[in-house]
Amino acid sequence: MELLIKNGYVYDPINKINGEKMDIAVKDGKIVESVSSDAKVIDATNMLVMPGGVDIHSHIAGSKVNSGRILRPEDHYKDVKPRTAITRAEVGHTVPSTYTIGYRYARLGYTTVIEAASPPLKTRHTHEELNDIPLIDKSCYLVLDNNWIVLDYLSQGEIDKCAAFIGWIFKALKGYAIKIVNPGGVELWGWGKNVESLDDQVPPFDITPREIIRGLCKINKMLNLPHTIHLHTNNLGKPGNYRTTIETMDAVSDLADGKPNIHVTHVQFCGYGGDSWITLRSGAPEIAKYVNNHDHVTIDLGQVVFGDATTMTGDGPFQFILQNLTGNKWKNADVEAEGSAGIVPYKYKRKNFVNAVQWTIGLELALLIKDPWRVFLTTDHPNAGTFMKYPRVITWLMSKVAREKVLNKINRRAKKRSTLPSIDREYTFYEIAIVTRAATAKALNLANKGHLGVGADADIAIYNINPMEIDPSKEYKKVRRALKRAAYTIKGGEIIVKDGEIVKSFIGETFWVKPAIPEDLEKDMLREVSEKFKEYYTVSLENYIIGENELASSKPIAVKTNL
Amino acid sequence: MKTIRNVVCPFCGSLCDDIEVDVEDNRVVKVRKGCAISVTKFTKYNEERIYKPRIDGREVSLEEAINEAVEILANAKYPALYGWSCTSTEAINIGIEIAELVGGVMDNTASVCHGPTILGEQDAGISTCTLGQVKNRAELIIYWGCNPAHAHPRHMARYSAASRGRFVKGRRERTVIVVDVRKTHTAKTADIFIQIKPNSDFELLTALRWAVKNGELEQEEIAGIPAEKIEELADMLISCRFGALFFGLGLTMSAGKARNIEAAVNLVRELNNYTKFVMVPMRGHFNVTGANEVMAWATGFPFAVDFSRGYPFYNPGDTTFVDVLTRGDCDAALIVASDPVSGFPAEAIRNLAKIPVITLDPHETLTTMISKVVIPTAVVGIEAEGSAYRMDAVPLRLKKLVEPPPGILSDEEVLKMILKKLKERVK
Amino acid sequence: MGEITLKPKVTFKVPIIAETITPDNFAGKPIEEIEKLEMWEGNRKTTLGDLFEAAGSSGEAPADTKIIIEGDVRKVRRIGYKMTDGQILIKGAVGMYLGEKMEGGKIIVEGDADSWVGAGMKGGQIEIKGNAGDYVGAPYRGDTKGMKKGTIIIHGNAGNEVGCWMRGGTIIVKGNAGLFPGIHMKKGTILVEGDCAGRCGAMMKGGKIAILGYVPSVLPSFTFEEIKKSFKVKGEKIKGPFYLFTGDLNENGAGKLYVSIEKNKHLQFYEKYLE
Repeated sequence: MELLIKNGYVYDPINKINGEKMDIAVKDGKIVESVSSDAKVIDATNMLVMPGGVDIHSHIAGSKVNSGRILRPEDHYKDVKPRTAITRAEVGHTVPSTYTIGYRYARLGYTTVIEAASPPLKTRHTHEELNDIPLIDKSCYLVLDNNWIVLDYLSQGEIDKCAAFIGWIFKALKGYAIKIVNPGGVELWGWGKNVESLDDQVPPFDITPREIIRGLCKINKMLNLPHTIHLHTNNLGKPGNYRTTIETMDAVSDLADGKPNIHVTHVQFCGYGGDSWITLRSGAPEIAKYVNNHDHVTIDLGQVVFGDATTMTGDGPFQFILQNLTGNKWKNADVEAEGSAGIVPYKYKRKNFVNAVQWTIGLELALLIKDPWRVFLTTDHPNAGTFMKYPRVITWLMSKVAREKVLNKINRRAKKRSTLPSIDREYTFYEIAIVTRAATAKALNLANKGHLGVGADADIAIYNINPMEIDPSKEYKKVRRALKRAAYTIKGGEIIVKDGEIVKSFIGETFWVKPAIPEDLEKDMLREVSEKFKEYYTVSLENYIIGENELASSKPIAVKTNL
Repeated sequence: MKTIRNVVCPFCGSLCDDIEVDVEDNRVVKVRKGCAISVTKFTKYNEERIYKPRIDGREVSLEEAINEAVEILANAKYPALYGWSCTSTEAINIGIEIAELVGGVMDNTASVCHGPTILGEQDAGISTCTLGQVKNRAELIIYWGCNPAHAHPRHMARYSAASRGRFVKGRRERTVIVVDVRKTHTAKTADIFIQIKPNSDFELLTALRWAVKNGELEQEEIAGIPAEKIEELADMLISCRFGALFFGLGLTMSAGKARNIEAAVNLVRELNNYTKFVMVPMRGHFNVTGANEVMAWATGFPFAVDFSRGYPFYNPGDTTFVDVLTRGDCDAALIVASDPVSGFPAEAIRNLAKIPVITLDPHETLTTMISKVVIPTAVVGIEAEGSAYRMDAVPLRLKKLVEPPPGILSDEEVLKMILKKLKERVK
Repeated sequence: MGEITLKPKVTFKVPIIAETITPDNFAGKPIEEIEKLEMWEGNRKTTLGDLFEAAGSSGEAPADTKIIIEGDVRKVRRIGYKMTDGQILIKGAVGMYLGEKMEGGKIIVEGDADSWVGAGMKGGQIEIKGNAGDYVGAPYRGDTKGMKKGTIIIHGNAGNEVGCWMRGGTIIVKGNAGLFPGIHMKKGTILVEGDCAGRCGAMMKGGKIAILGYVPSVLPSFTFEEIKKSFKVKGEKIKGPFYLFTGDLNENGAGKLYVSIEKNKHLQFYEKYLE
């Protein structure tokens, strides 16, 4: 199957292509140098061509997301679309069905999405849902920081065995990266408690959050995993927590060796200054300053979008606090020996002081951090807003006028205290391509994603907007409209979206890492782990492991470790 | 002879996964570690088998039966697809696609069991956990309106009262409270037995919550329990380090139903202001939880989903199968892995008998006896593999231990064949 | 007043979705156009004319349009959906979701009505001469926005959860009511003239409920306040005397529950809390 995308304005930052008019040739699912005259031609004249979007952090599959669906039937009633010959019925607003998720991402021109937090014991569930998300390529991060076996090993100083265990878990459960969520805090939530600082003790393990983070950071390097540790800080959602965020970033700065070694996620939620909800202000300037001066850190925004959201995180104690603050219904689901999850419906309101401050923080971070290769666009879907709002967030980055329009509608006191009105910076299309595809693919070390060089997967988004003629600063509405419905989305060389409609549906690939662990180390470790399993868990070790045939389309990535 | 270890038992929501089975000549000859119910399932699954598909009582080929099923479903204006709790998640997933394609209403047995739990959750949320969390940490356990000694025989030893975890090492380190209308076998093993007046669980839960909040109980006796006793109980709940409430049909099916669960949810949430407390529903069938999970991820809703207008619509009381049947709303039915005739109200069964019914089941049941089309299928977890979810939503993999009888396919395979033909028939 | 009469052409078996039967949809339309209005018969999309015989002529505006439905419409749902004015008279029993989200106008049912009468109503009047099912005025599962304005009168009995999540308006049940009237209520008035199965006002935060008949008990999270002589509903005074309770205290609620003293002698023990 050959395709030739002609005459488009191409933005491919990984290959340093900045709005060049050029043809893209596709053959057998890959970008190639050239194709024959039999190729199907897509006329992309006056259109914007980018690699397919790569979403590095979104809650799209697994027990937490499904708990959100079950909890919120009211979220589904109004947002429905009957089935068609090509598509299954679509349903849901902030917690849509699996089919809906795949179609909606495809319509936006996204082709790779990663589930941000999968509890190991329930990762089979994550895969069963990923199997049912059409079109996109996908994976999941494994939450490992409150895992008893990890904490046992780390606190006993057995870092090699810990690395072997974590390497084995990736092979067994088919995940992509180490996810850390409120390290230590979630273990204490097993007793209804939490941590408040990086140096609190986590009984009975004789370990601190700082030690957990550093241990996992070292192990990540030992295992040579493609992505860095992916971390949700302690004290999330607490006024004044920007200090914890900077401390966390700093906690591994000495372990860095020239490239990023920590990714801090949805920093908006951990970028609060002030010391109470009344004195709340943005901590973005301080965090941005740190990130600008330390290149071992990458972040993603977790940008707030006003309207309905469903908060869902592995941060059990935080979700309980949110439940008390809002009085909304609350689901909590602890996972034995591993962690927790909490879900609380939420609505962000413009006139609400706190929500308005939250809204400014994500944008401040994006505009104050100078290096677009280290700050990624997310809404921590669906925590701060749905991924459907990415085009809107993009216009806020590209247009000061668009930002001002919102600033004039939000709580006035929040606006007064924000530095956002004084920021003039506006993202270019090139920078947008970086923060939504190139940089995220690079941070994930997915060699064939996020770019349009020869050999890359033919995942391409074509938007009906002329980047040479349009002024995104003034005509942001046109930008938003164009980005909401791709003129074409191409996945693996197949046209899946045309004019915002799904024209073809199939299942993409679930990729995962397979670290090579030395046999003897693995044997020793498994002998110990088998014993622990009997005491800690209620399932057998054999049944814990997920077979590769359980993935609808499995793409293992072999990783040579430093063990 | 072959020994297969770590077999997942396909009977109840406990989904014990440590069963050992000896297989010889394509038969299960010995079962170790399973409870009495498990042993019966593994050794007697070949009784009352159906070996050939039937239409109107006469034996036909599989192809004929499938064609008839396809015709019935394609022509129906409001077909109902029910059951699903005793088959694999994969099979249920195909069922959902069928229901969507034919514009029918799909429901699973949660609607007559723990549906109220889900409804309570949808109004108030829930604080829950996987069973190992209880095993490792819970020192106070309440069994409310459930009788694990009979219905989930290994639950207490594996997961709750008598389990040995990291921080709590056995029955002696726990306090067990049973709340029930009569002194069940489980109640006999409890430290405290609260005999509640039937149908007054809502009052007791409300009073407990109020007492936890230091409220004054103005009635001398509530639900048949003296006010002082309720206050004592509230104190016990507040002062434990980790409490777990297990509940069953005594709560979901007595007067108040979903509201009883909501009251329990509210009590447990209140307790989390003082200590750590969780609640876990004692799900009956081995994959009813899986049915809820897959229906939710595919349609947004965990049961009772109406596809008649091409998109999912959910409203228990309207779209639940018992109610659809009682009103006589459906004009055809596909029943998979369930036997509604043996449990449903008379009016509902009368209406079921009036319409063409297709049933997929390994065994002869009251439902197969009134069905127009019967397609025998393999016993999941013994003759066919698949995914299943435990009562606490932990997903496990059921194993295939032996081959099914010749010509007998799994639910998943049969449903795939039905779906394929329907896709040619329906646009 | 323009009048359109509808008669079912057949005995309905599968559910009929009749959202389009409203004065708003009929007003200003000739019969031929009304017959083309969309309806669903189970999974089959069809037209009103396919299912009903229609006769008469509608008014120019909804306000002067009256729809009369004769025959058994027990399977017909959502009649009167979101109507803003005009009248509907149903001369028999009617199906679920009658008058869902209606904003004005009047619906009268001479027979029984199925569940969810006036679901999420925002104004207007519904009168059921027979019995009503469960969830009078209530929204769908998980939704917390119930009846907001308007009046619902049930002459017969009502089922469980009358006025669930109510946030305004008035519901009067002249017969008996089932369990949980006023559950999750925020505002509004519920009057039950007959007996009530109990658990009145569970989780209520505001509003008022009066039970003139027998109720087995009051929830333990309600506190006895005083004896009141009367209860006001729609400007009218209903003579008591009543025991007045406030609750649901588990929700920090300030709802008011009036219970008839005469019919509830078993509640006399509360009088010990009188000052």
